[in-house]
Amino acid sequence: MTKKVHEDQRYVTALLNNNVALVNEIYKKSAGKVKSFVLFNNGSADDAADIFQEALVDIYNQAKYKNLQLTCPFEPFLLLVCKRKWLNELKKRSISPVTKSEDDLLHIGEDTFEQAEVLAQQKEQAALFLKAFEKLGERCKEIIRWSMQGEAQEKVAETLGVTYGYLRKKKSECMASLVKLIDRKND
Amino acid sequence: MTEDKILWTAQYVEGDLNEAECLEFENLLTHDEELKQYLADYYDIHSSLQMELANDDGRNKLLDTLQALNQEHFAAEQPKVVKLSSYLRWVSSAAAVLVLGILIWAPWKGDLYEQFNTEPRMNVTERGAEQTDLDKASVLFNDKKYSEAKAALGKLNAADPQNAMVAYYYGVSLIETNEVAKGRLLLEDLFKGESVYRYDAAYAMAMSYLKEDQKTDTKFWLEKIPDGAVQYEKAQELLKKL
Repeated sequence: MTKKVHEDQRYVTALLNNNVALVNEIYKKSAGKVKSFVLFNNGSADDAADIFQEALVDIYNQAKYKNLQLTCPFEPFLLLVCKRKWLNELKKRSISPVTKSEDDLLHIGEDTFEQAEVLAQQKEQAALFLKAFEKLGERCKEIIRWSMQGEAQEKVAETLGVTYGYLRKKKSECMASLVKLIDRKND
Repeated sequence: MTEDKILWTAQYVEGDLNEAECLEFENLLTHDEELKQYLADYYDIHSSLQMELANDDGRNKLLDTLQALNQEHFAAEQPKVVKLSSYLRWVSSAAAVLVLGILIWAPWKGDLYEQFNTEPRMNVTERGAEQTDLDKASVLFNDKKYSEAKAALGKLNAADPQNAMVAYYYGVSLIETNEVAKGRLLLEDLFKGESVYRYDAAYAMAMSYLKEDQKTDTKFWLEKIPDGAVQYEKAQELLKKL
């Protein structure tokens, strides 16, 4: 059963289309809350800005590359993503937060937790895939890196000085090696 | 064989199969679950990597926007340095005295209450279910129309005194509408019982005393909330401040 897409999907679309007015609305609604949460928990205004920006870029990425469909309201989702990010950051800095748990988030719906969880997982996974990618041979890395730029593959072949057919063949082989590398890690 | 399937999947997606091979692949895909999984994994890995590696114009533009908005919304307030004229100096010392006076008087004592009184929300609606009296009461309660919620919950409580959820929200409504004594009786009974609302009731009791600035009673109730209860951390935090 697919859940209904929430009307707040428009904020996600605003990020995709760089709709400045609507993105500004996101800031107006949520930036203050994230700022006070971070300030209250041993952070600075700059930290808050970094976290907020990172969260919005993560949401953009998930929307563009992972087809994010929001089934919960945008604001609690964003706030939850920001809070988790900041608590992780504190852990890295070995500072224990003032707000220990997510008690104050108890009124948030299950959908929101689920979506924040998926976002975090996919980000983590992408980082793992990138690590595996770094282990490939130089030629493979070059071919994959170029073909991921979103340009027409014919043009990529031209840039690399190979034929289109060779590029397809080589990319398939390189990607297969990568999948096997990742597969082995998961076993 | 497994490794061949992985390569085969990559070749299929990247357009490195001829027409006949494509058909064969798609045919097998209809009943080979393993192949289906490989295909899904391939798309997953491909899109994740693209997310990391692409020089994404849209993302770059968005970053510009975000950086501009960050300055507007996250700027740390710059302290302004102003030279004081003698008149201002006089006014500011008078103000300082006033501030001191207010500090001693401390009219914001209620702040702790504001800070710690998490307004509870009733979540009763089941998707698709017909609206019951309980649903109506919960809407009123969540809209903070406590006196109307109180009337509705009072009826429900009379009909089913064993229903702990109704009793709890009825008790809170009573306290919110200045029927504090009656509300406390109800919550106290609830606390003595075994329902999941036990410690919600204890916390609500503490809040009702905190509102009246009765610290001893507030502490008394906060201390009844054991480690492991949802409200424990909040209760401990407040205890430290009292």
